[in-house]
Amino acid sequence: MNIVLRELRAYFKSLLIWSTIIILFIVVGVSKFSAFANNPEMLAILDAYPPAVLDALNLRAFNLTTITGFFGVMHVYYTLLAGVAAAMWGSDIIAKEERDKTVDFILTLPITRQRLITAKTVAAIINCAVLVLLIWVASRLAAAPYNPDAEFYRFLALQMQSIFILMLIFLAIGIFLGCALRRYKRVTAIAVALLLSTFFMSSLSDMDERLDFLKYVSPFKYVDAGMLYREGRIEGIYWVLTLLLILVSMTAAYVTYTRRDIYA
Amino acid sequence: MTVVIEAEKLTKYYGKARGIIDVSFQVNEGELFGFIGPNGAGKSTTIRLFLGLIYPTSGKARIFGQDAIRNGPQLRQDIGYLPSEVFYYEGMKVIDLLKYSASFYKKDCTKRIYELADYMELELNRRIEDLSYGNKKKVGIVQGLLHSPRLLFLDEPTSGLDPLMQRKFFDLIRRENAQGVTVFFSSHILSEVQRLCNRVGIIREGRIVEIADIRTLQQNNYKKIRVYADGVEPNAFQLPGVTNIEKANNSIHFFYKGDINLIMRKLSEFNLMDITIEEPTLEEIFMHYYE
Repeated sequence: MNIVLRELRAYFKSLLIWSTIIILFIVVGVSKFSAFANNPEMLAILDAYPPAVLDALNLRAFNLTTITGFFGVMHVYYTLLAGVAAAMWGSDIIAKEERDKTVDFILTLPITRQRLITAKTVAAIINCAVLVLLIWVASRLAAAPYNPDAEFYRFLALQMQSIFILMLIFLAIGIFLGCALRRYKRVTAIAVALLLSTFFMSSLSDMDERLDFLKYVSPFKYVDAGMLYREGRIEGIYWVLTLLLILVSMTAAYVTYTRRDIYA
Repeated sequence: MTVVIEAEKLTKYYGKARGIIDVSFQVNEGELFGFIGPNGAGKSTTIRLFLGLIYPTSGKARIFGQDAIRNGPQLRQDIGYLPSEVFYYEGMKVIDLLKYSASFYKKDCTKRIYELADYMELELNRRIEDLSYGNKKKVGIVQGLLHSPRLLFLDEPTSGLDPLMQRKFFDLIRRENAQGVTVFFSSHILSEVQRLCNRVGIIREGRIVEIADIRTLQQNNYKKIRVYADGVEPNAFQLPGVTNIEKANNSIHFFYKGDINLIMRKLSEFNLMDITIEEPTLEEIFMHYYE
Protein backbone atom coordinates (compact mmCIF):
# COMPACT_ATOMS: atom_id res chain seq x y z
CA MET A 1 0.00 0.00 0.00
CA ASN A 2 2.84 2.37 0.88
CA ILE A 3 4.42 1.83 -2.53
CA VAL A 4 1.09 2.43 -4.31
CA LEU A 5 0.56 5.75 -2.51
CA ARG A 6 4.15 6.79 -3.10
CA GLU A 7 3.83 6.06 -6.84
CA LEU A 8 0.49 7.83 -7.12
CA ARG A 9 2.10 10.90 -5.59
CA ALA A 10 5.12 10.60 -7.88
CA TYR A 11 2.93 10.41 -11.01
CA PHE A 12 0.35 12.98 -9.97
CA LYS A 13 1.97 15.73 -12.02
CA SER A 14 2.23 13.50 -15.08
CA LEU A 15 -1.43 12.53 -14.70
CA LEU A 16 -2.37 16.18 -14.48
CA ILE A 17 -0.44 17.02 -17.65
CA TRP A 18 -1.91 14.13 -19.64
CA SER A 19 -5.44 14.93 -18.46
CA THR A 20 -5.02 18.54 -19.51
CA ILE A 21 -3.71 17.57 -22.95
CA ILE A 22 -6.50 15.11 -23.67
CA ILE A 23 -9.28 17.29 -22.25
CA LEU A 24 -8.02 20.22 -24.33
CA PHE A 25 -8.02 17.93 -27.34
CA ILE A 26 -11.64 16.98 -26.66
CA VAL A 27 -12.78 20.54 -26.11
CA VAL A 28 -11.04 21.82 -29.24
CA GLY A 29 -12.29 18.81 -31.24
CA VAL A 30 -15.90 19.28 -30.24
CA SER A 31 -15.71 23.00 -30.96
CA LYS A 32 -14.68 22.06 -34.52
CA PHE A 33 -17.69 19.78 -34.66
CA SER A 34 -19.95 22.83 -34.71
CA ALA A 35 -18.96 23.19 -38.39
CA PHE A 36 -20.08 19.62 -39.19
CA ALA A 37 -23.20 19.48 -37.04
CA ASN A 38 -26.24 18.76 -39.23
CA ASN A 39 -24.39 20.02 -42.28
CA PRO A 40 -25.08 17.78 -45.34
CA GLU A 41 -22.58 19.69 -47.49
CA MET A 42 -19.78 18.21 -45.39
CA LEU A 43 -20.87 14.74 -46.39
CA ALA A 44 -20.72 15.68 -50.07
CA ILE A 45 -17.15 16.91 -49.65
CA LEU A 46 -16.14 13.70 -47.88
CA ASP A 47 -17.67 11.59 -50.65
CA ALA A 48 -15.05 12.99 -52.99
CA TYR A 49 -12.24 11.34 -50.93
CA PRO A 50 -10.80 8.00 -52.07
CA PRO A 51 -12.43 5.09 -50.17
CA ALA A 52 -9.10 3.88 -48.74
CA VAL A 53 -8.56 7.23 -47.05
CA LEU A 54 -12.09 7.25 -45.72
CA ASP A 55 -11.58 3.78 -44.33
CA ALA A 56 -8.27 4.67 -42.75
CA LEU A 57 -9.88 7.62 -41.00
CA ASN A 58 -12.94 5.57 -40.14
CA LEU A 59 -15.11 8.06 -42.02
CA ARG A 60 -17.24 5.48 -43.81
CA ALA A 61 -18.39 3.88 -40.62
CA PHE A 62 -19.64 7.10 -39.15
CA ASN A 63 -21.84 10.01 -40.08
CA LEU A 64 -19.65 12.94 -39.19
CA THR A 65 -22.58 15.32 -38.94
CA THR A 66 -23.96 13.64 -35.81
CA ILE A 67 -22.28 13.93 -32.40
CA THR A 68 -22.12 10.14 -32.09
CA GLY A 69 -20.47 9.88 -35.50
CA PHE A 70 -18.03 12.64 -34.60
CA PHE A 71 -16.91 10.89 -31.43
CA GLY A 72 -16.63 7.71 -33.44
CA VAL A 73 -14.17 9.34 -35.81
CA MET A 74 -12.27 11.05 -33.00
CA HIS A 75 -12.11 7.88 -30.89
CA VAL A 76 -8.87 6.64 -32.42
CA TYR A 77 -7.06 9.86 -31.52
CA TYR A 78 -8.18 9.81 -27.88
CA THR A 79 -7.15 6.18 -27.79
CA LEU A 80 -3.77 7.03 -29.27
CA LEU A 81 -3.08 9.76 -26.73
CA ALA A 82 -4.28 7.66 -23.79
CA GLY A 83 -2.24 4.74 -25.12
CA VAL A 84 0.94 6.84 -25.25
CA ALA A 85 0.32 7.93 -21.66
CA ALA A 86 -0.09 4.31 -20.55
CA ALA A 87 2.98 3.10 -22.47
CA MET A 88 5.08 5.87 -20.93
CA TRP A 89 3.85 5.19 -17.40
CA GLY A 90 4.30 1.47 -17.76
CA SER A 91 7.81 1.64 -19.16
CA ASP A 92 8.88 4.30 -16.67
CA ILE A 93 7.46 3.02 -13.41
CA ILE A 94 9.92 0.13 -12.99
CA ALA A 95 12.83 1.40 -15.05
CA LYS A 96 13.04 4.75 -13.26
CA GLU A 97 14.29 3.06 -10.09
CA GLU A 98 17.38 1.94 -11.97
CA ARG A 99 17.68 5.18 -13.90
CA ASP A 100 17.58 7.23 -10.69
CA LYS A 101 19.66 4.62 -8.86
CA THR A 102 17.01 4.34 -6.16
CA VAL A 103 16.63 0.65 -6.91
CA ASP A 104 19.24 -0.25 -4.26
CA PHE A 105 17.15 1.53 -1.68
CA ILE A 106 13.82 -0.03 -2.57
CA LEU A 107 15.09 -3.57 -3.15
CA THR A 108 17.14 -3.77 0.03
CA LEU A 109 13.95 -3.17 2.00
CA PRO A 110 12.21 -6.32 3.20
CA ILE A 111 10.03 -6.70 0.11
CA THR A 112 10.00 -9.13 -2.78
CA ARG A 113 10.50 -7.93 -6.33
CA GLN A 114 7.07 -9.37 -7.15
CA ARG A 115 5.49 -7.12 -4.58
CA LEU A 116 7.27 -4.12 -6.08
CA ILE A 117 5.94 -4.90 -9.56
CA THR A 118 2.43 -5.57 -8.25
CA ALA A 119 2.26 -2.34 -6.25
CA LYS A 120 3.59 -0.29 -9.13
CA THR A 121 1.20 -1.93 -11.56
CA VAL A 122 -1.73 -1.17 -9.26
CA ALA A 123 -0.65 2.49 -9.04
CA ALA A 124 -0.34 2.72 -12.83
CA ILE A 125 -3.76 1.10 -13.35
CA ILE A 126 -5.31 3.61 -10.96
CA ASN A 127 -3.71 6.41 -12.97
CA CYS A 128 -5.11 4.96 -16.21
CA ALA A 129 -8.58 4.64 -14.66
CA VAL A 130 -8.52 8.23 -13.43
CA LEU A 131 -7.45 9.44 -16.86
CA VAL A 132 -10.27 7.51 -18.55
CA LEU A 133 -12.82 8.84 -16.05
CA LEU A 134 -11.66 12.38 -16.74
CA ILE A 135 -11.92 11.80 -20.48
CA TRP A 136 -15.42 10.45 -19.93
CA VAL A 137 -16.56 13.42 -17.88
CA ALA A 138 -14.96 15.89 -20.30
CA SER A 139 -16.58 14.17 -23.30
CA ARG A 140 -20.03 14.25 -21.71
CA LEU A 141 -19.68 17.89 -20.82
CA ALA A 142 -18.34 18.83 -24.25
CA ALA A 143 -21.12 16.93 -26.05
CA ALA A 144 -23.94 18.16 -23.83
CA PRO A 145 -24.74 21.31 -25.88
CA TYR A 146 -25.65 19.07 -28.87
CA ASN A 147 -28.38 17.29 -26.89
CA PRO A 148 -27.05 13.77 -27.46
CA ASP A 149 -29.49 10.87 -27.31
CA ALA A 150 -29.23 7.80 -25.10
CA GLU A 151 -27.45 5.95 -27.89
CA PHE A 152 -24.60 8.47 -27.71
CA TYR A 153 -24.08 7.88 -24.01
CA ARG A 154 -24.14 4.11 -24.50
CA PHE A 155 -21.58 4.40 -27.29
CA LEU A 156 -19.44 6.79 -25.24
CA ALA A 157 -19.40 4.34 -22.32
CA LEU A 158 -18.27 1.59 -24.68
CA GLN A 159 -15.56 3.86 -26.06
CA MET A 160 -14.26 4.59 -22.57
CA GLN A 161 -14.20 0.89 -21.79
CA SER A 162 -12.18 0.30 -24.93
CA ILE A 163 -9.75 3.14 -24.20
CA PHE A 164 -9.16 1.64 -20.77
CA ILE A 165 -8.54 -1.78 -22.27
CA LEU A 166 -6.06 -0.41 -24.79
CA MET A 167 -4.29 1.47 -22.01
CA LEU A 168 -4.00 -1.74 -20.01
CA ILE A 169 -2.45 -3.52 -23.00
CA PHE A 170 0.23 -0.89 -23.49
CA LEU A 171 0.73 -0.51 -19.76
CA ALA A 172 1.49 -4.22 -19.54
CA ILE A 173 3.82 -4.10 -22.55
CA GLY A 174 5.56 -1.04 -21.08
CA ILE A 175 5.97 -2.71 -17.69
CA PHE A 176 7.42 -5.79 -19.37
CA LEU A 177 9.94 -3.67 -21.30
CA GLY A 178 10.84 -1.77 -18.11
CA CYS A 179 11.40 -5.05 -16.28
CA ALA A 180 13.26 -6.86 -19.01
CA LEU A 181 15.52 -4.29 -20.62
CA ARG A 182 18.76 -3.32 -18.97
CA ARG A 183 19.00 -0.22 -21.18
CA TYR A 184 16.58 1.69 -19.03
CA LYS A 185 17.31 5.00 -20.71
CA ARG A 186 15.65 3.84 -23.90
CA VAL A 187 12.79 1.84 -22.50
CA THR A 188 10.20 4.60 -22.87
CA ALA A 189 11.32 5.43 -26.40
CA ILE A 190 11.03 1.76 -27.36
CA ALA A 191 7.59 1.44 -25.78
CA VAL A 192 6.23 4.51 -27.57
CA ALA A 193 7.81 3.46 -30.87
CA LEU A 194 6.10 0.08 -30.53
CA LEU A 195 2.80 1.78 -29.86
CA LEU A 196 3.10 4.10 -32.85
CA SER A 197 4.05 1.29 -35.20
CA THR A 198 1.00 -0.73 -34.16
CA PHE A 199 -1.06 2.40 -34.64
CA PHE A 200 0.09 2.69 -38.24
CA MET A 201 -0.48 -1.00 -38.72
CA SER A 202 -4.11 -0.51 -37.77
CA SER A 203 -4.47 2.19 -40.44
CA LEU A 204 -2.71 0.03 -43.02
CA SER A 205 -4.94 -2.94 -42.31
CA ASP A 206 -7.92 -0.83 -43.44
CA MET A 207 -6.31 0.36 -46.65
CA ASP A 208 -5.44 -2.91 -48.28
CA GLU A 209 -7.19 -6.25 -47.94
CA ARG A 210 -3.91 -8.13 -48.14
CA LEU A 211 -2.90 -6.39 -44.93
CA ASP A 212 -6.12 -7.38 -43.21
CA PHE A 213 -4.26 -9.80 -40.88
CA LEU A 214 -2.66 -6.80 -39.19
CA LYS A 215 -5.91 -6.27 -37.32
CA TYR A 216 -4.87 -9.12 -35.06
CA VAL A 217 -1.42 -7.61 -34.52
CA SER A 218 -2.47 -4.08 -33.67
CA PRO A 219 -4.26 -3.52 -30.37
CA PHE A 220 -5.79 -0.40 -31.89
CA LYS A 221 -7.87 -2.70 -34.06
CA TYR A 222 -9.12 -4.56 -30.99
CA VAL A 223 -10.97 -1.42 -29.98
CA ASP A 224 -11.80 -0.06 -33.45
CA ALA A 225 -14.60 2.50 -33.21
CA GLY A 226 -16.33 1.19 -36.33
CA MET A 227 -16.56 -2.27 -34.83
CA LEU A 228 -17.72 -0.89 -31.48
CA TYR A 229 -20.49 1.03 -33.25
CA ARG A 230 -21.57 -1.83 -35.50
CA GLU A 231 -21.42 -4.60 -32.91
CA GLY A 232 -22.11 -2.62 -29.77
CA ARG A 233 -19.29 -4.54 -28.08
CA ILE A 234 -15.73 -5.68 -28.44
CA GLU A 235 -15.63 -8.87 -30.51
CA GLY A 236 -14.75 -12.10 -28.71
CA ILE A 237 -11.51 -12.73 -30.57
CA TYR A 238 -10.20 -9.34 -29.52
CA TRP A 239 -11.08 -9.99 -25.89
CA VAL A 240 -9.03 -13.16 -26.13
CA LEU A 241 -6.11 -11.36 -27.78
CA THR A 242 -6.27 -8.57 -25.21
CA LEU A 243 -6.21 -10.93 -22.26
CA LEU A 244 -3.46 -12.95 -23.89
CA LEU A 245 -1.26 -9.90 -24.50
CA ILE A 246 -1.69 -8.62 -20.96
CA LEU A 247 -1.17 -12.03 -19.41
CA VAL A 248 1.94 -12.80 -21.45
CA SER A 249 3.45 -9.35 -20.87
CA MET A 250 2.87 -9.36 -17.14
CA THR A 251 4.07 -12.93 -16.68
CA ALA A 252 7.20 -12.13 -18.65
CA ALA A 253 7.66 -8.97 -16.57
CA TYR A 254 7.49 -10.89 -13.27
CA VAL A 255 9.71 -13.69 -14.50
CA THR A 256 12.45 -11.50 -16.01
CA TYR A 257 12.53 -8.98 -13.19
CA THR A 258 12.73 -11.53 -10.39
CA ARG A 259 15.47 -13.46 -12.14
CA ARG A 260 17.79 -10.76 -13.29
CA ASP A 261 20.64 -8.94 -11.58
CA ILE A 262 20.05 -5.38 -10.46
CA TYR A 263 22.73 -2.77 -10.98
CA ALA A 264 22.57 0.83 -10.03
CA MET B 1 28.98 -18.87 18.52
CA THR B 2 26.17 -18.32 16.07
CA VAL B 3 27.23 -17.80 12.50
CA VAL B 4 25.43 -14.76 11.07
CA ILE B 5 26.97 -14.43 7.62
CA GLU B 6 28.25 -17.39 5.71
CA ALA B 7 29.68 -17.52 2.21
CA GLU B 8 30.40 -20.94 0.79
CA LYS B 9 32.38 -21.01 -2.46
CA LEU B 10 30.40 -18.00 -3.52
CA THR B 11 31.07 -17.21 -7.17
CA LYS B 12 29.72 -14.51 -9.44
CA TYR B 13 30.50 -13.91 -13.06
CA TYR B 14 29.03 -11.03 -15.02
CA GLY B 15 28.84 -12.79 -18.33
CA LYS B 16 32.49 -13.65 -18.76
CA ALA B 17 33.75 -10.89 -16.51
CA ARG B 18 34.95 -11.92 -13.10
CA GLY B 19 32.98 -10.76 -10.09
CA ILE B 20 34.12 -12.99 -7.25
CA ILE B 21 35.45 -16.54 -7.29
CA ASP B 22 35.10 -19.20 -4.59
CA VAL B 23 34.65 -16.73 -1.77
CA SER B 24 34.18 -18.51 1.54
CA PHE B 25 34.06 -16.98 4.99
CA GLN B 26 31.99 -16.82 8.13
CA VAL B 27 31.10 -13.93 10.36
CA ASN B 28 29.91 -14.70 13.87
CA GLU B 29 27.24 -12.94 15.82
CA GLY B 30 28.46 -9.71 17.39
CA GLU B 31 31.58 -9.49 15.23
CA LEU B 32 32.88 -6.38 13.52
CA PHE B 33 34.18 -7.91 10.35
CA GLY B 34 36.30 -5.82 8.02
CA PHE B 35 36.33 -6.60 4.32
CA ILE B 36 39.19 -4.92 2.56
CA GLY B 37 40.46 -4.80 -0.96
CA PRO B 38 41.17 -2.33 -3.73
CA ASN B 39 38.53 -0.97 -6.07
CA GLY B 40 37.09 -3.66 -8.30
CA ALA B 41 38.24 -6.51 -6.07
CA GLY B 42 34.68 -7.72 -5.52
CA LYS B 43 33.67 -6.09 -2.23
CA SER B 44 30.42 -4.59 -3.50
CA THR B 45 29.66 -7.71 -5.51
CA THR B 46 29.86 -9.77 -2.32
CA ILE B 47 27.57 -7.39 -0.42
CA ARG B 48 25.07 -7.16 -3.30
CA LEU B 49 24.92 -10.96 -3.41
CA PHE B 50 24.06 -11.10 0.28
CA LEU B 51 21.38 -8.45 -0.20
CA GLY B 52 19.79 -10.35 -3.07
CA LEU B 53 20.34 -7.57 -5.59
CA ILE B 54 22.33 -9.93 -7.77
CA TYR B 55 22.31 -13.70 -7.91
CA PRO B 56 25.32 -15.99 -7.51
CA THR B 57 26.63 -18.00 -10.43
CA SER B 58 27.39 -20.77 -7.94
CA GLY B 59 27.96 -21.26 -4.25
CA LYS B 60 25.88 -20.41 -1.23
CA ALA B 61 25.18 -17.23 0.67
CA ARG B 62 23.53 -17.64 4.07
CA ILE B 63 22.38 -15.11 6.61
CA PHE B 64 21.19 -16.18 10.08
CA GLY B 65 21.53 -19.71 8.74
CA GLN B 66 19.04 -19.16 5.92
CA ASP B 67 19.51 -18.86 2.19
CA ALA B 68 20.13 -15.18 1.52
CA ILE B 69 18.49 -15.29 -1.89
CA ARG B 70 15.43 -17.42 -1.24
CA ASN B 71 14.59 -15.93 2.14
CA GLY B 72 15.98 -12.48 1.35
CA PRO B 73 12.79 -10.47 1.82
CA GLN B 74 12.11 -11.83 5.33
CA LEU B 75 15.79 -11.72 6.28
CA ARG B 76 16.01 -8.07 5.32
CA GLN B 77 13.65 -7.20 8.18
CA ASP B 78 16.80 -7.54 10.28
CA ILE B 79 19.40 -6.22 7.86
CA GLY B 80 20.59 -2.66 7.50
CA TYR B 81 22.53 -1.51 4.44
CA LEU B 82 24.58 1.60 3.88
CA PRO B 83 25.97 1.96 0.36
CA SER B 84 28.97 4.10 -0.51
CA GLU B 85 26.75 6.48 -2.43
CA VAL B 86 23.13 6.99 -1.48
CA PHE B 87 20.35 7.83 -3.92
CA TYR B 88 16.83 8.75 -2.92
CA TYR B 89 13.69 10.02 -4.60
CA GLU B 90 13.75 13.61 -5.62
CA GLY B 91 11.15 15.93 -4.23
CA MET B 92 10.88 14.05 -0.96
CA LYS B 93 11.62 15.50 2.42
CA VAL B 94 14.10 13.67 4.61
CA ILE B 95 11.45 12.78 7.17
CA ASP B 96 9.05 11.51 4.48
CA LEU B 97 11.74 9.28 3.02
CA LEU B 98 12.62 7.91 6.46
CA LYS B 99 8.97 7.28 7.29
CA TYR B 100 8.50 5.63 3.90
CA SER B 101 11.46 3.39 4.60
CA ALA B 102 10.18 2.65 8.13
CA SER B 103 6.74 1.67 6.78
CA PHE B 104 8.23 -1.53 5.36
CA TYR B 105 9.33 -2.89 8.75
CA LYS B 106 7.13 -4.70 11.18
CA LYS B 107 7.87 -2.36 14.04
CA ASP B 108 7.43 1.24 15.01
CA CYS B 109 10.63 3.08 14.17
CA THR B 110 9.50 6.65 14.83
CA LYS B 111 11.34 7.18 18.09
CA ARG B 112 14.55 5.78 16.71
CA ILE B 113 14.37 7.96 13.59
CA TYR B 114 14.37 11.06 15.77
CA GLU B 115 17.11 9.73 18.04
CA LEU B 116 19.39 8.86 15.14
CA ALA B 117 18.69 12.08 13.26
CA ASP B 118 19.41 14.04 16.40
CA TYR B 119 22.66 12.18 16.97
CA MET B 120 23.83 12.58 13.36
CA GLU B 121 22.70 16.23 13.32
CA LEU B 122 20.41 15.63 10.38
CA GLU B 123 17.74 18.17 9.51
CA LEU B 124 14.55 16.27 8.87
CA ASN B 125 12.52 18.89 7.10
CA ARG B 126 14.82 19.58 4.20
CA ARG B 127 14.31 18.25 0.72
CA ILE B 128 16.72 15.47 -0.13
CA GLU B 129 17.78 16.97 -3.45
CA ASP B 130 18.92 20.13 -1.64
CA LEU B 131 21.26 18.22 0.64
CA SER B 132 25.02 18.10 0.25
CA TYR B 133 26.75 14.80 -0.40
CA GLY B 134 27.68 14.42 3.25
CA ASN B 135 24.19 15.19 4.45
CA LYS B 136 22.70 12.69 2.03
CA LYS B 137 25.07 10.19 3.55
CA LYS B 138 23.63 10.97 6.97
CA VAL B 139 20.17 10.22 5.62
CA GLY B 140 21.59 6.89 4.48
CA ILE B 141 23.00 6.17 7.93
CA VAL B 142 19.69 6.90 9.65
CA GLN B 143 17.79 4.95 7.01
CA GLY B 144 20.09 1.95 7.36
CA LEU B 145 19.74 1.86 11.14
CA LEU B 146 16.19 3.01 11.84
CA HIS B 147 14.72 -0.46 12.09
CA SER B 148 17.32 -1.61 14.65
CA PRO B 149 18.80 -4.29 12.38
CA ARG B 150 20.69 -7.21 13.87
CA LEU B 151 23.08 -7.20 10.94
CA LEU B 152 24.66 -4.25 9.18
CA PHE B 153 26.29 -4.16 5.76
CA LEU B 154 28.43 -1.07 5.35
CA ASP B 155 29.91 -0.57 1.88
CA GLU B 156 32.64 2.05 2.05
CA PRO B 157 30.43 4.03 4.38
CA THR B 158 32.62 6.93 5.36
CA SER B 159 33.11 8.64 2.02
CA GLY B 160 31.69 12.15 2.13
CA LEU B 161 31.69 12.41 5.91
CA ASP B 162 33.98 14.93 7.55
CA PRO B 163 36.38 13.59 10.23
CA LEU B 164 34.12 14.71 13.06
CA MET B 165 31.12 12.96 11.56
CA GLN B 166 33.23 9.91 10.78
CA ARG B 167 34.10 9.65 14.43
CA LYS B 168 30.47 10.01 15.45
CA PHE B 169 29.56 7.39 12.90
CA PHE B 170 32.19 4.98 14.21
CA ASP B 171 31.00 5.56 17.76
CA LEU B 172 27.47 4.81 16.61
CA ILE B 173 28.57 1.60 14.94
CA ARG B 174 30.53 0.57 18.05
CA ARG B 175 27.50 1.29 20.20
CA GLU B 176 25.29 -0.83 17.95
CA ASN B 177 27.92 -3.55 18.00
CA ALA B 178 28.09 -3.47 21.79
CA GLN B 179 24.40 -4.28 21.77
CA GLY B 180 25.03 -7.38 19.73
CA VAL B 181 24.70 -6.10 16.17
CA THR B 182 26.93 -7.91 13.70
CA VAL B 183 28.74 -5.58 11.32
CA PHE B 184 30.18 -6.32 7.88
CA PHE B 185 32.35 -3.38 7.01
CA SER B 186 33.80 -3.09 3.52
CA SER B 187 36.46 -0.53 2.81
CA HIS B 188 39.64 0.19 0.96
CA ILE B 189 40.79 2.51 3.73
CA LEU B 190 42.76 0.34 6.09
CA SER B 191 43.15 2.73 8.95
CA GLU B 192 39.41 2.85 9.50
CA VAL B 193 39.13 -0.92 9.37
CA GLN B 194 42.00 -1.08 11.84
CA ARG B 195 40.17 1.33 14.12
CA LEU B 196 36.88 -0.50 14.06
CA CYS B 197 37.16 -4.18 13.26
CA ASN B 198 38.34 -7.24 15.13
CA ARG B 199 38.69 -9.51 12.14
CA VAL B 200 39.37 -8.86 8.49
CA GLY B 201 39.03 -10.61 5.20
CA ILE B 202 41.26 -9.43 2.41
CA ILE B 203 39.94 -9.77 -1.11
CA ARG B 204 41.94 -9.33 -4.25
CA GLU B 205 40.88 -9.86 -7.85
CA GLY B 206 37.74 -11.62 -6.70
CA ARG B 207 39.40 -14.09 -4.37
CA ILE B 208 39.88 -14.11 -0.61
CA VAL B 209 43.60 -14.03 0.06
CA GLU B 210 43.51 -13.94 3.86
CA ILE B 211 41.09 -14.00 6.72
CA ALA B 212 42.56 -13.25 10.10
CA ASP B 213 42.30 -11.43 13.37
CA ILE B 214 43.60 -7.93 12.99
CA ARG B 215 45.97 -8.54 15.87
CA THR B 216 47.16 -11.84 14.51
CA LEU B 217 47.72 -10.21 11.19
CA GLN B 218 49.75 -7.45 12.75
CA GLN B 219 51.58 -9.06 15.62
CA ASN B 220 52.06 -12.74 15.18
CA ASN B 221 52.54 -13.09 11.53
CA TYR B 222 54.69 -10.37 10.12
CA LYS B 223 57.72 -8.50 11.27
CA LYS B 224 59.12 -5.58 9.45
CA ILE B 225 62.89 -5.94 9.74
CA ARG B 226 65.44 -3.35 8.80
CA VAL B 227 69.15 -4.03 9.10
CA TYR B 228 72.06 -1.67 8.67
CA ALA B 229 75.24 -3.36 7.60
CA ASP B 230 78.08 -2.79 5.20
CA GLY B 231 78.62 -5.11 2.28
CA VAL B 232 75.55 -7.25 2.83
CA GLU B 233 73.68 -8.25 -0.29
CA PRO B 234 69.87 -8.51 -0.17
CA ASN B 235 70.15 -12.06 -1.47
CA ALA B 236 71.71 -13.12 1.79
CA PHE B 237 68.28 -12.97 3.39
CA GLN B 238 66.56 -15.25 0.92
CA LEU B 239 64.87 -17.50 3.44
CA PRO B 240 61.48 -19.12 3.46
CA GLY B 241 59.11 -16.53 4.97
CA VAL B 242 61.07 -13.50 3.81
CA THR B 243 59.32 -11.23 1.35
CA ASN B 244 59.57 -7.77 -0.13
CA ILE B 245 63.34 -7.45 0.21
CA GLU B 246 64.43 -3.95 -0.60
CA LYS B 247 67.78 -2.24 -0.42
CA ALA B 248 68.13 1.43 0.33
CA ASN B 249 71.58 3.04 0.80
CA ASN B 250 73.23 0.96 3.49
CA SER B 251 70.09 -0.64 4.83
CA ILE B 252 68.03 -3.62 3.79
CA HIS B 253 64.45 -4.13 4.83
CA PHE B 254 62.03 -6.95 4.39
CA PHE B 255 58.98 -8.67 5.87
CA TYR B 256 59.36 -11.89 7.75
CA LYS B 257 56.70 -14.43 8.57
CA GLY B 258 57.63 -17.56 10.45
CA ASP B 259 59.68 -18.82 13.37
CA ILE B 260 61.43 -15.81 14.81
CA ASN B 261 64.42 -17.90 15.96
CA LEU B 262 65.32 -18.88 12.42
CA ILE B 263 65.62 -15.30 11.29
CA MET B 264 67.54 -14.32 14.44
CA ARG B 265 70.11 -17.06 13.76
CA LYS B 266 70.45 -15.84 10.21
CA LEU B 267 70.87 -12.25 11.32
CA SER B 268 73.59 -13.23 13.77
CA GLU B 269 75.76 -14.36 10.85
CA PHE B 270 76.32 -10.76 9.88
CA ASN B 271 78.16 -7.94 11.46
CA LEU B 272 75.31 -5.47 11.88
CA MET B 273 75.53 -1.80 12.68
CA ASP B 274 71.92 -1.53 13.70
CA ILE B 275 68.61 -3.31 13.47
CA THR B 276 64.96 -2.48 13.95
CA ILE B 277 62.15 -5.01 14.15
CA GLU B 278 58.68 -3.51 13.90
CA GLU B 279 55.06 -4.51 13.58
CA PRO B 280 54.03 -3.60 10.09
CA THR B 281 51.05 -1.31 9.68
CA LEU B 282 48.00 -2.85 8.13
CA GLU B 283 48.74 -0.71 5.12
CA GLU B 284 51.99 -2.53 4.57
CA ILE B 285 50.45 -5.92 5.06
CA PHE B 286 47.80 -4.94 2.63
CA MET B 287 50.28 -3.80 -0.02
CA HIS B 288 52.09 -7.05 0.49
CA TYR B 289 48.96 -8.95 -0.55
CA TYR B 290 48.53 -6.89 -3.63
CA GLU B 291 51.91 -7.45 -5.11
